[in-house]
Amino acid sequence: MPRLSLNSRLALLFAACTAVVSLIAGVLFSRASETHFIELDQQLLDGKLVALRSALQGADDPVLFAQRKARLQEEMSHQTDLSLRVRGADGHVWFDSTANLPDDLPTLTGLSSLHSAGTAYRVFNAPLEPGRTDGAQLTLALDITHHQHFLQRMQHLIWLTVGLSALATALLGAWAARSGLRPLRRMSDVAAGVCASSLTQRLPHTQMPAELAELAQAFNAMLGRLDDSFQRLSAFSADIAHELRTPLSNLLTHTQVTLTRPRDLEDYREALHSNLEELQWMAQLVNDMLYLAKADHGLLMPRREPLQLAQEADALLEFYAPLAEDAQVRLTRQGEATISGDRSMLRRALSNLLDNALRFTPPQGEVQVQIVDGAQGLHLSIANTGDGIPPALLPRLFDRFYRADPARREGSSEHAGLGLAITQSIIRAHGGTIRCESTQGWTRFVIELPKGD
Amino acid sequence: MKLLIVEDQPKTGHYLRQGLTEAGFNVELVADGTTGQQLALSGEYGLLILDVMLPGRDGWQILQAVRGAGLDVPVLFLTARDAVQDRVHGLELGADDYLVKPFAFSELLARVRSLLRRGSTAPQETSLQLADLRLDLIRRRVERNGQRLDLTAKEFALLEMLLRRQGEVLPKSLIASQVWDMNFDSDTNVIEVAIRRLRLKIDDDFPNKLIHTVRGMGYVLEERPA
Repeated sequence: MPRLSLNSRLALLFAACTAVVSLIAGVLFSRASETHFIELDQQLLDGKLVALRSALQGADDPVLFAQRKARLQEEMSHQTDLSLRVRGADGHVWFDSTANLPDDLPTLTGLSSLHSAGTAYRVFNAPLEPGRTDGAQLTLALDITHHQHFLQRMQHLIWLTVGLSALATALLGAWAARSGLRPLRRMSDVAAGVCASSLTQRLPHTQMPAELAELAQAFNAMLGRLDDSFQRLSAFSADIAHELRTPLSNLLTHTQVTLTRPRDLEDYREALHSNLEELQWMAQLVNDMLYLAKADHGLLMPRREPLQLAQEADALLEFYAPLAEDAQVRLTRQGEATISGDRSMLRRALSNLLDNALRFTPPQGEVQVQIVDGAQGLHLSIANTGDGIPPALLPRLFDRFYRADPARREGSSEHAGLGLAITQSIIRAHGGTIRCESTQGWTRFVIELPKGD
Repeated sequence: MKLLIVEDQPKTGHYLRQGLTEAGFNVELVADGTTGQQLALSGEYGLLILDVMLPGRDGWQILQAVRGAGLDVPVLFLTARDAVQDRVHGLELGADDYLVKPFAFSELLARVRSLLRRGSTAPQETSLQLADLRLDLIRRRVERNGQRLDLTAKEFALLEMLLRRQGEVLPKSLIASQVWDMNFDSDTNVIEVAIRRLRLKIDDDFPNKLIHTVRGMGYVLEERPA
């Protein structure tokens, strides 16, 4: 089933509300008129009863009654819609004013209704002598067919009103909803027009109704984030081209120069070696970029195995120990925690940080790995002594190809500036965050990871 | 040992054949999947190197046919796509190893040798030796020219690996993976430093050097004529 549009939903809702309200009103009105008719009938029948009782006073046995029968007949013949039945105390019918009175008229004292042979009656039973229930009984039957017709007509009218008003409100509701939702359509027009080159377009949220202003703001914020990521991506592609340009140009020039004239074997070997270095650097760059692309597409799916973080950190510290000894840097680790995560991914993430820390720590310095098992999650920090990083540069550290040290620009055979971006992708794939703090003398990368299962 | 390479890229195939032939293997190269499968099913190869994307039948299908025929020849996949599901798919079908392009030839060679060695159960050695360098696996001692050398545990593990695979060029990534269990591309120079420290202990005081750097490829332990 196709989903109903908001417009049709509102219209139907309005129509249903009106139908229910008018139905309730109609039912109440028809009840009230019925009650009113009953009251009217009661008054009429009470009046007749008084007249009949006075006319039949003392005619309490069949003989006396028979004497008055003719007069009673004459009296009743003026009353077209009223019939009378008189019964003796033994239940025998003494008198019927009309021939076609139904046999099964109710005999209970008081007012009741009866439908018989297409005619509706209001039947009123009362004793001939007030208060004497063992004497003759009068049964007055008032033909109320026309009342019933009136009530039926009214019911038809009610249904008609319900139907028509529901239809009318549905149409009105549809129109109202349509005009009420116009700002939404404006939003969808803007959304439909958004493409890479128009990411700077924004919705005028000040002109929006209050309910939609929030949505418009959220939409604008989304556009802002998209714009930001898109800028980064564009910059990323430009950076890739830029990064590849230097090694490619080295390869081209070196190969061409080598081939311009015959050379010694050793020269060729040297040229190939030099090319190999450039190519390895490019291969590493391409692999790193593919890794990041995978992370961007949510394809970096860490395995979840229980890991002792202290053990992992120690393994990494052991790996880096020769490098640290050479650089005369002290490597230490404190604290421990368990986490469920991907061993080789986390090792890669931490190794980038350690590598980085070691590179920027001056001799006699220190690199500290600290693991804190908190209630909310765990903190892992890798801190190194050194000059620190200016606060303005901190947010850009995790950008691709960003190098805090401008001297280490492109072409440096060691680092393409993707290490921290890769570390961040891995931590994010584990549901964590990473940030960098730099205070006097210490630069600290802080990783926060959610607790494992 | 006969190897079969099924690779449709002419340049890649050509260089793989040349490299592996020069490393002492008997190599057959075919460029399409259908012929590749026929040859693979003949059962006369010690190792299959399959590209995933091939004309005719792709690498997965060849692997399925080979395993379906009950052959347990080791299979190494080469792929340009590093998608997790590809990797899982290959391993489920019974691939033994995979390499993602671009890869280094030294890495390929090292993996090929590992796969071929896997089948044969090497006799339990108690010591490894090259020239006057001796490594006692039981007492965990290293001697050169009768002189005892003092190595750390990791240096010992590194030397043991070099000795077990003497004559093979070992790429840095393989060393990091085997000795330190660091299984990721790393551009760190930890391995260089570790090798330098090992050299300091086993080579520096002796005229005949055993650890050699193969520029751009890795390290090799062998005796070279002076």
